[in-house]
Amino acid sequence: MKTVLITGAASGIGLATARLLSQQMRVVLADRNYEGAERAALEIERGGGRASAVEVDVSDARSVARMAEKTQRELGDVHALFCNAGVSPKAPFEEWRESDWDTVIDTHIKGVFLCTRAFLPQMCARREGAIVTTGSDYSIVGHRHGAGYAAAKAGIYALTKSIALEFAPFNIRCNSVGPGPIETPLLRKGMADAQWAAHKAARGERVPMGRLGQPEEVASVVAFLLSERAAYITGQIVHPNGGSVMW
Amino acid sequence: MSSVGAKGCVVVTGVGSGIGFETARRLLAADYAVLGIDRSPGRSGELSSSAGFTFAQCDVRDGDLQRATIAQQAEKGRIVGLVACAGIIERKPYLELDEDTFDRHLDINLKGPFLACQAALPFMRGQGGSIVLVSSSIARTGSATAGHYAASKGGLLGLARTLALEVAREGVRVNTVSPGVTDTPLPRAHASDAELYAKASRIPLGRIARPEDVAEAICFLIGDESSYVTGQDLRVTGGAGLF
Repeated sequence: MKTVLITGAASGIGLATARLLSQQMRVVLADRNYEGAERAALEIERGGGRASAVEVDVSDARSVARMAEKTQRELGDVHALFCNAGVSPKAPFEEWRESDWDTVIDTHIKGVFLCTRAFLPQMCARREGAIVTTGSDYSIVGHRHGAGYAAAKAGIYALTKSIALEFAPFNIRCNSVGPGPIETPLLRKGMADAQWAAHKAARGERVPMGRLGQPEEVASVVAFLLSERAAYITGQIVHPNGGSVMW
Repeated sequence: MSSVGAKGCVVVTGVGSGIGFETARRLLAADYAVLGIDRSPGRSGELSSSAGFTFAQCDVRDGDLQRATIAQQAEKGRIVGLVACAGIIERKPYLELDEDTFDRHLDINLKGPFLACQAALPFMRGQGGSIVLVSSSIARTGSATAGHYAASKGGLLGLARTLALEVAREGVRVNTVSPGVTDTPLPRAHASDAELYAKASRIPLGRIARPEDVAEAICFLIGDESSYVTGQDLRVTGGAGLF
């Protein structure tokens, strides 16, 4: 049975992808929130899937190395990787603190660098592997009050394409999924029920399809890109965004 | 247990060869019925053992016939998708490009899909459905001696996005697939096998596309896995032309 490792797997898109892929692969749920990842892994195991949890801060090289070492020791090679962990601080540009900037860039761009670097050698050795990173529509159209987030996600696209080019000779594919507005904790940001309902309706109204997307609708795109069915697709971005951005 | 055409019917133009043929085969295996359209049957006879397959001889430039053919199919079962694959390429140096050749490319490659969308949409509006127009990586990269082809395929990108916006709230999704050089009869009009396979050296994944590669992408966009994907272009290029 092949193994997929997912970062940011305790909630939202990462969790939906873990649930979907657990039907055919062994899933490693990696998250800064270890309790959340462990709870999700237990739930998947109770449903008959194979899952385990590991703690990681993707912006910290030592933490990523520990994650990779633990995974290798307990489960062996990782065949597929979904670099999905993300944070989304928002503030007017002049109020962005340097520490917020560093967190958002380190979590996204450096996180993808560190996590791919950890697993690419074993993929190269097997001459097989598939990687998906999580981008965002905001990297294409910009994000008022989310400059660091937009910049970080755009950086992920450039990194993804570079990995695709460098590792194509090893039969390793690397693509991005670029979600539009999806009903996740990241989007909700702790809003109370009534506020969230109003926000969802208003935000959905601005999407050509007239609604927000569900995490499962991103997960199914990720599953496709990680599968053999996408054997000739690499360096690409697929946008489950309800038609919000066409590019 | 599979059941013939349980998922509804997908119309596939250009079903006689290459990507259209391979797409129809996969859709049939995935429990869709298929109405295959082409100027001549080509390989489509290989699909006729599937109970869900119907072939209709039709030139995609003939809007009335295409409309009548699809309407007739709709009486037999729900139309849930359209894959517009039919296309031609005849390379000519730009200054030798005659108006007839130009018109033929625009008519078959761009107006054909326009007519097919008009014919199929009334049966999908409000009920749900998915349309995939097959463009080409050349739509973005251009290709010497194929400006007319590039223009027709680039036009498809604009058509698809516009239609995507127009029908998004009626449950119909519209996307394009842009393949790179694919191992089909189409490029063989102007390239030998050796010339075709030699192109692999410039492709990061080290080979040209197989029709199956492109068919899988089309089937992904037709099915529910891509339920939040519309107005997008999925490029099946082996890593070539990343922009």
